[in-house]
Amino acid sequence: MKVDIQSLGTFNQLAHEGAEQATQSLAQMTGIDAVVDVTKITLLNRDDVGEELAGQDFVGVQFDFEGALDGDTVLVFESDSVGPITEALVPGGADGEMAQSSVEEIGNIMMSGFIDGWADYLGTTIEHSPPEYIEATGADVLPPAPTVADQPQVFVFKSQIEWVGESLNFYIYMLPEYDTLAELMTDHAEPGGDAIPIDKLSVFNEMTTSGTEQAAENVEMMTGIPTEAEVTQISFAPIEDVPKQVGDDTYVGTVVEFTGVPSGYLLVLFDEVSAQNVAEALMPTEPDGEGLTEQHKAAIEELGNIMTSGFVDGWANVLQTSVDHTPPQLVHDIGQAIVDPLAAQVGQHQEHSFIIESEMRTDEIEFSSEIHALPDEKELRQALAELEVDRADQTDADVEQIF
Amino acid sequence: MPDVLIADDSEFMRNLLREILEEDHNIVGEVENGVEAVEVYKEQTPDLVMMDIVMPIRDGIEATDEIKTSNPDANVIMCTSVGQEEKMKEAVKAGADGYITKPFQKPSVMEAIEDVVPS
Amino acid sequence: MKVYDGSQTEQESVGQPERKKVGIAEYAVTTDEAVLTTSGLGSCIGVALYDPDSNTAGLVHVMLPRHDDGEGARAKFADTGVEVLLEEMERAGARRRSMEAKIAGGSDMLDFSENGSSIGSRNAAIVRETLAANDVPILGEDVGGDYGRSLRLEAATGDLIVKSASQGTATL
Repeated sequence: MKVDIQSLGTFNQLAHEGAEQATQSLAQMTGIDAVVDVTKITLLNRDDVGEELAGQDFVGVQFDFEGALDGDTVLVFESDSVGPITEALVPGGADGEMAQSSVEEIGNIMMSGFIDGWADYLGTTIEHSPPEYIEATGADVLPPAPTVADQPQVFVFKSQIEWVGESLNFYIYMLPEYDTLAELMTDHAEPGGDAIPIDKLSVFNEMTTSGTEQAAENVEMMTGIPTEAEVTQISFAPIEDVPKQVGDDTYVGTVVEFTGVPSGYLLVLFDEVSAQNVAEALMPTEPDGEGLTEQHKAAIEELGNIMTSGFVDGWANVLQTSVDHTPPQLVHDIGQAIVDPLAAQVGQHQEHSFIIESEMRTDEIEFSSEIHALPDEKELRQALAELEVDRADQTDADVEQIF
Repeated sequence: MPDVLIADDSEFMRNLLREILEEDHNIVGEVENGVEAVEVYKEQTPDLVMMDIVMPIRDGIEATDEIKTSNPDANVIMCTSVGQEEKMKEAVKAGADGYITKPFQKPSVMEAIEDVVPS
Repeated sequence: MKVYDGSQTEQESVGQPERKKVGIAEYAVTTDEAVLTTSGLGSCIGVALYDPDSNTAGLVHVMLPRHDDGEGARAKFADTGVEVLLEEMERAGARRRSMEAKIAGGSDMLDFSENGSSIGSRNAAIVRETLAANDVPILGEDVGGDYGRSLRLEAATGDLIVKSASQGTATL
């Protein structure tokens, strides 16, 4: 199956408008001022769906829908927002059944808005079930991702909605059945458009997963801290939504430009605590001063360099090409401000971007790291076209054989 | 003790290599890019160059190529985070004698050096 | 595209002024003394317009220099972003000849561009050019450098508060 870039863009736009519609319904009913931060389509391993929700308590509603599109969709609120939402709906507040019923009702109205846009665009109907109230921690709040034979990866549409002025978020997830989605996307592909073969996108994702594992292994070898590669996924979003993925927290990390097929930019980011912890694990001596010293920065720079190589080498080896990268530039700033010059750079040639994202973490000390790559879309397509699927596991080069 | 030149743009990595090497080697210089590596090589003609690949101004493969062209007997070990097969082939073409991928441990560095410059 | 026209949300007018968040490639205009915010400007630029006579304020967050060079919302580009904000200010009751501009962002924190000047400085040049072409004076600016910025435009006064991780807070 192939999907073209145009239909990915259109489907993303539908999800975004649906989320906007849902957010407006929320505002009308409760006066809550919320904005849709990010909407993206993500291709990832089905077991990793909802990983970003880990550790948080949620309540929400779940629907299944069928028609032109089959699957499940959920709207979830961080638990702390339930009080204020109920208060807005039921003056004087409510608890127990009444609170649940108000969440159900608001969910029902919001999600109708979300689904209707899809049906209208597709010129057909999509039926959905009555809302089912859900309450759970982390990814458990999501319905199990649909299974498809021989296909461990699934497409997820994901919108993050921010309650303005509060540090609370809502999320809408849509998990369509692979086959109906694939059919729809194929139907909406423009003949002769810029098609991407989905099976190869999955293979590329798997290659990246082994790249992330290599990067995590490198971190572990250098620092002695057992490090796990977590999620690897490839997402698709409008270019202006790319910086928002990283958010307003301050990050330390490295940026490189890579050249070859594909070319693009790659970021390795650590939150400030992680940066300090991991740098100190690398440093042979105690740091000279407080906070993030020059020694810390030198260590982060080299770590970024080695993680970057671990990440891209797998692509180069499978594609039998070389992917060069510039020396790492150290960055220490607001996350979104680090990403926006890169998104702008890529955005000069394309309206949407693929974002390849990975995460790693460790249980021993507070440490987590994210890798984000922004490839040139045309070159990624070319790389996928040239990708030989049966070489997908050839991510390691054999030094012994060459020297 | 053999003379060694270290070429790496990362101060952190130069320190690490120095610590590994200084016991049994005479470190004649530490440089941060390929241009300096060639210059210092020509001045000092050390027994061995530990050469990073990704460096500003001029990369390590080009520098290796020039060093090996001017002196085919020079010993250059690439010491890099890049683990791509095509890159390794480029390094071989430029005349590199060995290839160590970062992150490395002391024994693998010593082993690579022993292969290239037997003590 | 979202258009905030000040009548969309009716909240209590006492106490805290209303806050409106402006995302990348978005703009907002207010006539009711709201606080308009935008965050994480790297090479992007925030253009704040204020008309003291009608007490109208607007903020746009642009990403790329020229609309001709790409596709997308007008607010995504420096030239059309300034224009759309001018138009929406007028629609909300402001007059062009009494408008004042303040601009911030356009940093060169990462520069891999081998072909000419960075996106940050090109964004700044186009914003200046478009404001000048419309006879809107720039009363304050905090542009360039190698760090990111977040902005708060206080519509009650026209103050633009610029915050950065490394340089602290400044009021334009």
